Amino acid sequence: MTTTKKPKTQKRPWFAVRKDLDAKRRLLLSVCSFIMPLAIWSLVSYAPFIWHPDIKLQISADRSDVTTVFTAGDHLSKAYYPTFVGAIQKDNASVLAARESGELGKGGSRARRANVKILRHISTPAIANGWLTRKEAEEDEALYMIWKGLAEGTLEGRKVKFSEENIALAQRNWSLMSERSPTYVSKLMPDQPLEKLVPQGRLANPVYLPAPHEVVSKGFEDFTFTSDSDKPSMFERYKHSLKIVFMGFLMAALIGVPLGVLCGTFDFFSKLFEPFIDFFRYMPAPAFSTLLVAIFAAHDAPKIALVFVGTFFQLALVVSNTTRQLETSLLEAAQTLGAKNMTLIRRVIIPGITPNLFNDLRILLGWAWTWLVIAELIGVKSGLTEFLETQGRWRNFDSVYPIIILIGVTGFTTDQILASLRKYLFPWTPEASEKKHGFIGRFFFWLLDRDVYETPLNGKASS
Amino acid sequence: MSDVIELPSYKEQSDAVRARFAEIKQRPIKLEVKDVSKSFTTAKGTVDVLSPINFNVHRREFISVIGPSGCGKSTLIRMLAGLETLSGGSFLLDGEEASGPGADRGMVFQGYTLFPWLTVKKNVMFGLEVNGRSGTAVEQEALQWIELVGLTHAAEKYPSQLSGGMKQRVAIARSLANQPQILFMDEPFGALDPHTRCQMQAHLLQIWKNVDVTIMFVTHDLDEAIYLSDRILVLKANPGEIHEFIEVPVPRPRSEEQLLSPEFLATKLRLEELIHPKTHGEEQELPMVRMTNTEDEVE
Repeated sequence: MTTTKKPKTQKRPWFAVRKDLDAKRRLLLSVCSFIMPLAIWSLVSYAPFIWHPDIKLQISADRSDVTTVFTAGDHLSKAYYPTFVGAIQKDNASVLAARESGELGKGGSRARRANVKILRHISTPAIANGWLTRKEAEEDEALYMIWKGLAEGTLEGRKVKFSEENIALAQRNWSLMSERSPTYVSKLMPDQPLEKLVPQGRLANPVYLPAPHEVVSKGFEDFTFTSDSDKPSMFERYKHSLKIVFMGFLMAALIGVPLGVLCGTFDFFSKLFEPFIDFFRYMPAPAFSTLLVAIFAAHDAPKIALVFVGTFFQLALVVSNTTRQLETSLLEAAQTLGAKNMTLIRRVIIPGITPNLFNDLRILLGWAWTWLVIAELIGVKSGLTEFLETQGRWRNFDSVYPIIILIGVTGFTTDQILASLRKYLFPWTPEASEKKHGFIGRFFFWLLDRDVYETPLNGKASS
Repeated sequence: MSDVIELPSYKEQSDAVRARFAEIKQRPIKLEVKDVSKSFTTAKGTVDVLSPINFNVHRREFISVIGPSGCGKSTLIRMLAGLETLSGGSFLLDGEEASGPGADRGMVFQGYTLFPWLTVKKNVMFGLEVNGRSGTAVEQEALQWIELVGLTHAAEKYPSQLSGGMKQRVAIARSLANQPQILFMDEPFGALDPHTRCQMQAHLLQIWKNVDVTIMFVTHDLDEAIYLSDRILVLKANPGEIHEFIEVPVPRPRSEEQLLSPEFLATKLRLEELIHPKTHGEEQELPMVRMTNTEDEVE
């Protein structure tokens, strides 16, 4: 017997002008189209040699010559950071010089108070390293012991690694402190000034570009956080935003679709309504925001109305155009079969345009989403946008990104689900018989498949 | 031309054919067209598409309408079907004046006009339901019409699953289901390939034999017109008017062998003369430029 050689299938090249790729490659590329931006984001975030124009402070200090106060977590530009560090080092140098020359300054309670301030400066890196809990941050006894640990080398920073300069400095400070008292007693703080911790920081991207893991963890935190009873939870905000979009869109569709069908069917209605609608749609919906608040008062009504204004006029025009595109010959055929005006609309025009109408509505639902943020800003701010706005003002951009992504994901998934429903709703369209069922389609079929419920596992088929 | 075969005149009819035409003329007049004309008003003035024309069609007659493009043959039957307004004149259907589209005049179009969202069966039921009937009787009747055109196996299919020829068969069944007085067909087989087209012509004759219907058939295919019709209405262009109303001398029942019979060829010759008149000396000759170097001669 001869072994049959598998016929060599000709592989299509990846790049072929106006030719479809096979299903596997299509899927691969679709996945890549999402992975690529994610990868770029991660690369920019996690590779310190790319971009990173800022220094994020881990240890901060107060300058004696300038009143500006930076705290740990603040971003400084790479250009300004050395000046800041230099200024602190200069302050320390003058303290040392005074100490050496034996000038003991004014001393007394004033110096002690300044020294307590320096003592407390260590709290932020101490918390970051897990030496202290957030509650202990103001407890001077504990902070005193941390200076001790740092000087004696028993405490070593994991997250915030202290520079040798800072450790040497801590040892000098501790020798002054331990001379007076082994534990914290406010009266027994050194009389002469202590040295300040020199600022330390790490390379960072600007605040407006948090790293992916920060966004994910912050998003998770925001969504699981059960807030005070007077503020809505994130899930309630989400529901509220969905309600605004869908109510606005639904009302626009309820009025716009019949109007569009009438305009597309009868020239009378087309000429009566369309010129004005065409004019009105050029007026931006947000321009009406104050008016809508005045008309509909507070709460959701003006917001829904804004989505309506933003969607309705487009919708009516698009629907009338779709109606007009229905083949005239279908209408003529129906007429020669005896159909009159109302029957024509009910039995030919409406079923004839539904597949295209469905697509139009999908696109216009996307439009409705774009009005959401503006709608929620008018009147009393509400929903996801209120959160977005507040966090944005506080420059908590790691809280802003999850919301933006959530809105995107919601819109995208709705559209994908609607798109995949098309072939079940309109089985006569050519693409319904051509295309295989996609992921969502298979899922629906699985739900509809009654056999699943009658497998032996359910105990029904016992013999 | 007559050097090759001696053709009789297209006006010479055999006794059987003469008897048939005499019988047809005895039948009641189904359609009476009186001074029907069509003109359009454009920016440049009024354009006459169709000058007033008159003719009669008898019951169960098969009439073809042919003519050069722009002669208004489509316009004529669209007006009679009520899809376009008349600029002048009127027409009587069974002695009564008709206007606007109605179920008494069916129409089969060149493009496929089946409703894509309805199955074949539902498409055929459409006309019956629109005219106020419902129930299982309608369904049974529709299935009978589908059987007539030989598509029982496809009754539950959607139009997008059918071939062009099948679609036109459904369209015919759908029109006939209303039992119209007269069926207008506007180049119904124009979009089909030659083989399917031949099949459909034979099929149409068979249907016509089994149903009480008068047919007016627009075409630009001379063979088709002769093969199908009793009489051929030849129109002239600019403005459209009747050139001649030819009685086809080919006896019935028709078969494909008759395509080469002397009567058939004589009629075709006459139609050619009427539609594509020879313009002596005016034909443009191609300039002789040789673009090949090979020695081989093709002629």
